Amino acid sequence: MQQIFQPQRTLGRLLMLVLLSAASSTASALPSFARQTGEDCAACHVGGIGPQLTPHGTKFKIGGYTDGDNAEKFWVPMSGQAITTSTHTSKDQPGGAAPGYKANDNTIFQEGSVFLAGRFAPHVGGFVQGTYSGVDHAWSWDNVDLRAALPLQLGGGETTFGVSLNNSPSTQDPFNTLPSWSFPYVSSDLTPGYLGEPLLAGGLGQLSTGLTGYAYINEWVYAEAGAYRDLPGDFLSSVGVPREDRVNLDGAAPYWRLHVGHEFKHQYASLGLFGLDASIQPDPGAGAKDQYRDIGIDGTYQFIGTHRNIFSVNARYIREKQDLNATVAEGGAERNNATLTEYNFSASYYYLNTYGFTVGAFGTGGDTDQTLYAAADIEGSRTGKPDTQGTIWQIDYTPWGKEASWMAPWANLRLALQYTAYSQFNGASSDYDGAGRDASDNNTLMAFAWLAF
Amino acid sequence: MARVLNAVHSPLGLAAALAMLAVATGPALAADAKKGADSFDENCSECHSVASTLRSKKGPSLYGVVGRNAASIEGFSYSDAIKQRPIVWSRENLDAYIAAPKKFVPGGKMKFDGVADTAERADLIEFLEHPN
Repeated sequence: MQQIFQPQRTLGRLLMLVLLSAASSTASALPSFARQTGEDCAACHVGGIGPQLTPHGTKFKIGGYTDGDNAEKFWVPMSGQAITTSTHTSKDQPGGAAPGYKANDNTIFQEGSVFLAGRFAPHVGGFVQGTYSGVDHAWSWDNVDLRAALPLQLGGGETTFGVSLNNSPSTQDPFNTLPSWSFPYVSSDLTPGYLGEPLLAGGLGQLSTGLTGYAYINEWVYAEAGAYRDLPGDFLSSVGVPREDRVNLDGAAPYWRLHVGHEFKHQYASLGLFGLDASIQPDPGAGAKDQYRDIGIDGTYQFIGTHRNIFSVNARYIREKQDLNATVAEGGAERNNATLTEYNFSASYYYLNTYGFTVGAFGTGGDTDQTLYAAADIEGSRTGKPDTQGTIWQIDYTPWGKEASWMAPWANLRLALQYTAYSQFNGASSDYDGAGRDASDNNTLMAFAWLAF
Repeated sequence: MARVLNAVHSPLGLAAALAMLAVATGPALAADAKKGADSFDENCSECHSVASTLRSKKGPSLYGVVGRNAASIEGFSYSDAIKQRPIVWSRENLDAYIAAPKKFVPGGKMKFDGVADTAERADLIEFLEHPN
């Protein structure tokens, strides 16, 4: 699944080509965290590398990334990562998978990131990620999550209160289900991208800033609320984001999260709700607005046992209600009112935190709109529907990341083979783009190597 | 000796001998280091190591902890609460601590509710005494 991000005049079109959040927002088991805490990557991450968190890792994030006062003497809160991918699609992409690339079978240095990550002061920590795209040949800012957290003894138990300043709704989420942190954790940037993702699934990623406050009560209830604002074009330009990508939020966009979960004798289960309500003016001078109301439900189960072999299930469902008055007025959509749904499911098993198998299912669905979801070669829709469904199968090998691993806690590595199969793409199984391309033509076999240090 | 053997050969004598043996060796006889290793991985390994390198994680190294003075790993940042307790980690003290850490060392840093099961604690301590 390629992440596509092109400047568009209206948000409706922007959302058509929305970033699929996972691929370029990967923040792995950062060795700087391991050096800070003295713990191995597998203590906080399922499978020995990120980003899927164990309950221990969830508590580390909620605690503001500040745990561990027995760090190495000259510990520096910095890390890096590099990802190379080799991508094969069932059918060539005429014109090249991206500018300057072959129509198929591309092996590339996909991205490299540097992180400032760890505890910055007592009760204050975070991570700031800058990423170089090997496809775009450019640096830009990536995930930012700065936190302050304070645990207090209340009513016979511990409640952690905290605030997060971040740049994408759900980046601050400490669980494994929301768009920023769900499977797949690495995707190829050289495959066709599909239409239609809810705003909460990446549309404000790196284009906004959010301030949220949270409370984590007795390791049972997590409640969070806050709001997102847009960012000036000059600022976006200074952090490597094209200024024309700017989203004009009309005031603050409220975000909320309620999550109930607990670890029961080495098993963890949870159920949660979340939402985002955003009003956007595609053209600030025109006054008309688009309204997006996202609400979602998520759940998790983990069997942790001795921490050697972990089985996990993660699931989420998002329903977005759209009022596209501004986009319709500008001729970018036909329907004023529309609904978009999205789901993501994955189940994984990791043996010895080293050998992993994951199967995932994903999909989007929405109302027909021949203008918003117009026909176009490869990435358009003949039917005017944004419906896409598929499955992802991944096997991986993570030789490091454990206590006795070579180079621990300085380096971590994952080697993986991933296959994505589409049963439906942009509204149809066959000839989905009106130019004769079938959904299965986008089936993708990808091998990747992911090094963190 | 012959009288002892004769006693053991009778059913009543055998039961008595086994009972005496059980009393003499106590619960340590039942402790299982292999089960203790599983309990360690389940409950302790995220924050503690038993590697012979005396590596500390979020918590101090537990290599050789049985019989060691509390708060004695050089360079580890202990809580004031444990530093002010002049205790030796005998099996008995470890058992009491693991059963209820916050009760045994009020104000300590360890965020762990404890292991309630007596047999599991015995297995765990057996493993800590013989980690390899």
